[in-house]
This record gives sequence, structure tokens and C-alpha cells, in this order.
Amino acid sequence: MMKNDGGVRVFWLLLLFLLYTRGKSFSVPGKPTLTRCRSPEKETFTCWWEPGSDGGLPTTYKLYYRKEGSEKEYQCTDYHTGGKNSCFFNKNDTSIWVNYNITVVATNALGQALSDPLNIDVYFIVEPNPPENLNVTIQNDKGWPFLRASWDPPTKADTRSGWITLIYELRIKLEEEDEWEIHHVGQQKVFNIFGLQSGGTYVIQIRCKPDHGFWSEWSDDVQVVVPNYFPNKRSAWVLLMVFSGMVFLILSWLLHLNSRNLKHCILPPVPGPKIKGFDQKLHKSGKSVDAFKSLEVPDFPHHTFSKSEDFLVEYIEVYVPEEQELMLEKSNNLHNGCLKSESSVSDCDSGRGSCDSHTLLLDKSGHQTNTQDSQTDEQKHGEALQGENLAYTHQDMVSPDMSAGRVKTWPSVFSPLPQNRSTVDQTSSIEIAKQHCLSDSLLPSDFLTPYHSPPGHCTREHLGSNYWEFDFGNKQPHLTQPQTEACHQIQAHSEININTGVKAEPAAHKFPTPRSNEYVEVQRINEEDSVVLRPVASNYDKLFEMQQGEDYSRVKGVDSDNVLLLLQKEAMEEEMNMCPCEQLTDTTGAHYTRFARSPEKPTACTHPTPQPLEERVVNGYVDTATMFTMPPY
Amino acid sequence: MMLAACSVWLLLVCLVLYSRLKVAASAPTCTNGQAGCHVLSLANLFDRVIQHSARMHGISNDLHSEFELYFLPSKNQIGRVSRNCHTSTILTPNGKENAQRMAREELTEVILKLLVAWGDPLWHFHQSLAHNHEFSNFSSNKSLEMSDMVHELRKGVQKVIEKMKMLGIIGNSLGGLGSSESLLAPVSAEWRLMKDYDLLYCFRRDSSKIQNYLKILKCRIVPEHGC
Repeated sequence: MMKNDGGVRVFWLLLLFLLYTRGKSFSVPGKPTLTRCRSPEKETFTCWWEPGSDGGLPTTYKLYYRKEGSEKEYQCTDYHTGGKNSCFFNKNDTSIWVNYNITVVATNALGQALSDPLNIDVYFIVEPNPPENLNVTIQNDKGWPFLRASWDPPTKADTRSGWITLIYELRIKLEEEDEWEIHHVGQQKVFNIFGLQSGGTYVIQIRCKPDHGFWSEWSDDVQVVVPNYFPNKRSAWVLLMVFSGMVFLILSWLLHLNSRNLKHCILPPVPGPKIKGFDQKLHKSGKSVDAFKSLEVPDFPHHTFSKSEDFLVEYIEVYVPEEQELMLEKSNNLHNGCLKSESSVSDCDSGRGSCDSHTLLLDKSGHQTNTQDSQTDEQKHGEALQGENLAYTHQDMVSPDMSAGRVKTWPSVFSPLPQNRSTVDQTSSIEIAKQHCLSDSLLPSDFLTPYHSPPGHCTREHLGSNYWEFDFGNKQPHLTQPQTEACHQIQAHSEININTGVKAEPAAHKFPTPRSNEYVEVQRINEEDSVVLRPVASNYDKLFEMQQGEDYSRVKGVDSDNVLLLLQKEAMEEEMNMCPCEQLTDTTGAHYTRFARSPEKPTACTHPTPQPLEERVVNGYVDTATMFTMPPY
Repeated sequence: MMLAACSVWLLLVCLVLYSRLKVAASAPTCTNGQAGCHVLSLANLFDRVIQHSARMHGISNDLHSEFELYFLPSKNQIGRVSRNCHTSTILTPNGKENAQRMAREELTEVILKLLVAWGDPLWHFHQSLAHNHEFSNFSSNKSLEMSDMVHELRKGVQKVIEKMKMLGIIGNSLGGLGSSESLLAPVSAEWRLMKDYDLLYCFRRDSSKIQNYLKILKCRIVPEHGC
């Protein structure tokens, strides 16, 4: 022993010398460090250390330990099993629930180095081996596959006796992925995995841990390929496309059905201008007549008369002042069928003189002549002289054709009859320019123009009755020339008509108005401020529907606010009560009808009389009862 | 409609709860001679006891870790620990072979001794923690729980022993409940000298022993489940 020591020392000295000569430095070894101690099965354990610097000299390491409760120092016996710088404690040396104090000593020629001691209890340093025999199989659950993983505990760990209780952990991922899916298994050794990707390749690993210890390493990979349980991925896409297409079709169909509603919701229609009663369609079709039909105010003017002809004023006698009268008398010419419009006299243009009531009214005061005739001839022709309002009448009562016809036959009225000349002379005081006022509102210009333009040229003629009080034949030479032709024509035409009209009326001399008469001429205005109207004998039976039993009323007068007062003896029953009207019962028993010029009065009026009167204001036509005792017809 | 659905749902919930209650109530631990009660099997008893011990060990581990943060023991104290555990006198197997070589009765007795030995010290430990305001409520509650669990576990183990005796698995060499004083007698009162940290350290170890021993027993006696 001593020799050995001496030899060792010499050896070391030589070595040191050699090293010095080489220029190296030597030192004591560095302190080693115990890194960890692990027990795989809680029966043995191994400790590893990290050596420090060796100091340039060969260094030996030794491990010493002490057990709890004894001072005895033990040395590690197995430095190889655990690898380099390790110490393996076998079963005999291992005690559980015993505290170990372990130290490693590094020794080299120059010195020693002790590591820091490490206290361990084997119970708490257990780190098992990874589980073994990991087996993954593909199972079928009603057509849906799942994985079943099974494994065995590490061989060394004795779980059977209950010495060690292990819990497991499994992780899985698709081959191409990076992140694992970890499943905590527990103590069981079988595990099922669901929710797999069809046709995917999975990688599974497993590890274990004791109750209080460290996790084992992950086991080796186990790969498994999941079969394609989806028939075809492509078919799935096809199904999806078909389904979405159907949905789209249904939606579009629904949209189409409700397109109008949607349109109204999204783009509400802009309300266009509307005229009440105006039918756009009719207007577009071109029938302007019909289109404007609806625009008419139904009760304007008074709709009461069914016999429109009653209210047609063919002509109105216009008072002609005396000097003119004379003139006209002189210039009476049968062959000149020129109508002379008297006071329109001032202008012989059309449209004014015919129904111009103001002329008549103006001359009422000075008008004395023709009283005879007027008295005898007083008829119940009511005529409202509202010359200004020619054009308003009801078109429905007068058809255009009729009006045209009327117009045509118009001048026949004015064709002079020789037999009546005397009467005419008698009544020559009144020079009346008669003009037909047609109630045809639609063609005012039509009928007016051809006949009014030569106003003074057509001779008036009697129609075979003594009613006629017009200045027939009076012609104005100066006027006749240009219109001679027309007048002749008219005259001829009217002659024929008159003749026929005369024939038609055998009892034309009868005082009362002929049956078919619906025209009234204003004879004069007498002293009482009443308009004397006389019916005009009409040849126009065929043209106009004349009703029997028409009543004409006598215009009693005009009151202050331009209201024509008519005397009504017998009021015809009319269908419609047109207002404005107020019926005032006269003390004499006759009925007075008072109507105003302006037809805008409200329609609510009382008609106490059983025979309401229909009056048409604007046109001057008044259907009045016969004033005198006329035989009813 | 809604009302009907709600009432039906409530009824279902009530039924479920009742059934659960029934299940829970239907398995009381029966004393000897009681008729009509559902008897637990030994395996069940063992499982319950093992779970209980596992929980107890968990709590002790937590407390120990907590104390280790605050009270780092000096290295010199490591060596002293073994001397300071008052249960060091109880001979316990320190290895698998030793434990397997031990008879069931011995092993059972060791468990019981351990449990008995730790009853009072833990209670006092809890008391000291409760009164000491340095420690948090969490630690105090844990210590109380730990103390209770030791008591409960002892009772459970005693029941297991009775069951085993009934089944004839172990002989009657073990003392009954009345032998707790006999068990305590050899144990010294050194625990009063222990400091808190050492106490926790010792109990942590002993609780693991208890758990392990119970598992070994179970796998030796009723090995069908989980062994």
C-alpha cells in the first residue's frame, strides 16, 4: 500500500513535470453535479451526474450515499448499467420511502471535488418506461369507422400486484398535420377514437405515469389508414350542388311570384296625376268624346229634362229697334233668305246674336208691337235667354247628328211664307232675328258658323203658322250679295221643309204649340217684365223627339239678381229636379219657377210641388207648363 | 303549449333526481345483522378506501409543497427528518418484495396503525394552523380536511377489516376498534416536538404508504378490477 502510494506520487510528479515542460496547466477537477435520479419501476433507480472540468488530468468519479436513519456510507457499485456518469442502484440497494443522500466525488491527481448532495425518495422519482405493444385497429360502428387503440404497460412496471398504478395518455394526429390531439385515458388499457377523416392516415402514440411521478416517453408511432367510408367525395359535392341548385330555383320562383309585390316594396310606383272621372284609356284610344264624357259634371247643367229637344232653342227673337225695323221691312225679300240678326246688329258675326239674351232684355222696355200676336200666340214656350251660355247643354240630349240635322233644317224656319206675311206685318214691330240656338254644346262652332256668318241674309219665314214673327224676306241688299247663293240654298231647303212641316201640321193654326214643337221663340218682353215666348212650329218631328204635353212657362220677369222668373201653370213632371230652383207658389195658383242664372247653387232644393220643373239655366231652355188653358196634348 | 312542455320537463327532472337519490340511498353500509340493506362487496369497499386514501395523499402533497416554498429546510434537517417522524417505530415494508412477503393481516395492521397514529397529530396541526395567522385560510382548510380524512379512512379500513374477517379472508388476530389504544401506546409523543414542516413531510410519506399498502392488499385479495 505504501509502495503503491509512493509510486503513485512519483507518477504524478513526473506527470506534472511533463506537463510543465509542455506548458499546460493542471488543476483540481471541477465539481460534478448530480443531474437526476430516476426509477423505472419503483424497485431500482439510477442517478446521473455531470462532471465538471477534469482539470486536465484524468478524473475519477465516485458516488457515495447515505440512507435515512443510518450513518453508514455506501458507494455505488454499478457505474455502467446506466451509462456514463451514472450509478445504478439495484433492488437490494433500493428502499422505498427512505431518504437517500447521494454525493458524487470527482478525483484527479491534484485533488477532489465533491458534488452537492442530493436527497431523494425513490417513491417520488418514478419515471416508467413507455407503454408497450400499442395496437390500433379499425372498427365499424354502423358503417362509421373508429379506431381502437390497445397497449400494455411497460414490462418492468408491476401493476398486477398493485405496486404501481399507472395512468395513460394517448395522442393522435393526421400524418400531415403538426398538432397532436391528446386524450387522457386513465388506468384503462383500451381506448376508442371517433370522428375520423375518411381516407386519412393517422399517427398514434401513448405514454404513462404513476400516481406521483414523471411521465414516460412517448411510445413509437403507430400508423393507421382510415378507409373511405364516404362513398365518394366528388359525389358529395355533386349532391351539394344539386341541392343548392334546387334551393336556388325555388327561391327564384318565389321571387318571380312575388315580383310585383317586391317591386312595389322596393320601387313604389310614382303616383301619376289623376283627374277624377278621366279615363286615360279612352283618351288614348282617341275617342275624345267619350273621354271627356266623364269630366262632365252630371248635374250641370240641369239634367232634369228628358226631352232635350224641349230645351233646344233654335232661335231667339231679338228685338230690333224701330229704325232698323223699318229698314228690314223694306228690304224684306222672300228670295233672300237671310236671316237678319237685329241687334246683334252691331255685329253680324256668328255666335252672338242668336241666343244673346241681353239684346232682348235691353229692348224689352220699348217693345210694344206684336202684342196681338204675342197675346194670341203666347205659348208656353219657355226659353231661357242666356245667350252667353250657349254651349253647355247636354250633349246626350242632342246628338251631333241631330244637331247637324237641325242645323240643316234650320233655315227652313226662316224661309218666308207668303201667307204669313200679314201677320208678320202685324208683328212687324218686332223684328226679331231668329237664330237657332242649338243646345248642342259640342258643336257650337259647327252649327253656328255656317249659319251665323251670314246673319242677316237669311230670311225668316213663317212656318205656316201665325206664330212666326220673324222678319222674313227682309233683306238687306247690301248684304245679300255675297251670300245669296247660300241663302238660296238654305231657302230652298227650308221651303221644302216648311212645306212638309206645314203638311204635317194640319191644325197648325191652332193656337197652342204644335205637338212636336219644342222650340220657343221669345216674342217680346211685355210690360210686366215677362218674356213672352212662343213656340216655334217645328218641322223637326223626325229629327227631334218631341214629347207631348210639354209645358212651357212664361217668363214672368227677371229679378234683381239676374234671375228669370217664369210662370208655370202646369209643370210637367220631370225626372230630374235640377237646381238651382226654388219654387214659389204664386197666389194666383200658378207656379212660379225661379231660376237663377248661375247654376252653381246647391242642388238641395225643395220641391213641394208635385210637378217639379226642370230648367236649364244656361241655355235658356225652360220647359214650363202651359200658361193658358191649352188643351193638353 | 309552453306550460305543458315546462311541466313535463320539470317532472322528468324530478324523476331523475329521485331515482338518483334512490340509488344513493340504496347502498348504505350495513352493520352486522341489519336486514334488507344493500351489501357492498369487498372490492367496492376496497375501491372506496383506496380512493379515499389517494385523495388524502393528494392533500398532504399539496400542503407539503406549499410549506416547502415558505420554509426551505436547511440541509442539515434532511437527516433529522427520519428521526423525527413519530411513526418511524412502526415497521413498514420498504419494498415490493417486503410488502408482498408480508401477510395480509400484518399489512392490514400496519395500515391501521399508521392511520391511528396520525389522527391526533393532524388535528393538532390543524389547530396550530388555524390559530397561527401567518398561514392562509387555504392551508388551514386543507389541514382540517386532512385531519378529517384520516379519521374517515380509519373507519373505512376498519370496515374493510370487518368485511374481510366476515369473509374469512383474514383471521381474528387483528384487534378490533377497541385496540386503538393498544396501537397508540408504543407510539411516542414525539410528534409534539415536531415542527410543522417535518410533520407534513412525515405525513406525506405515510399517506403514500397507506395508499400503496391498500392497493397491494386489494390486488392480493380481490384482483379482478384494475390490478
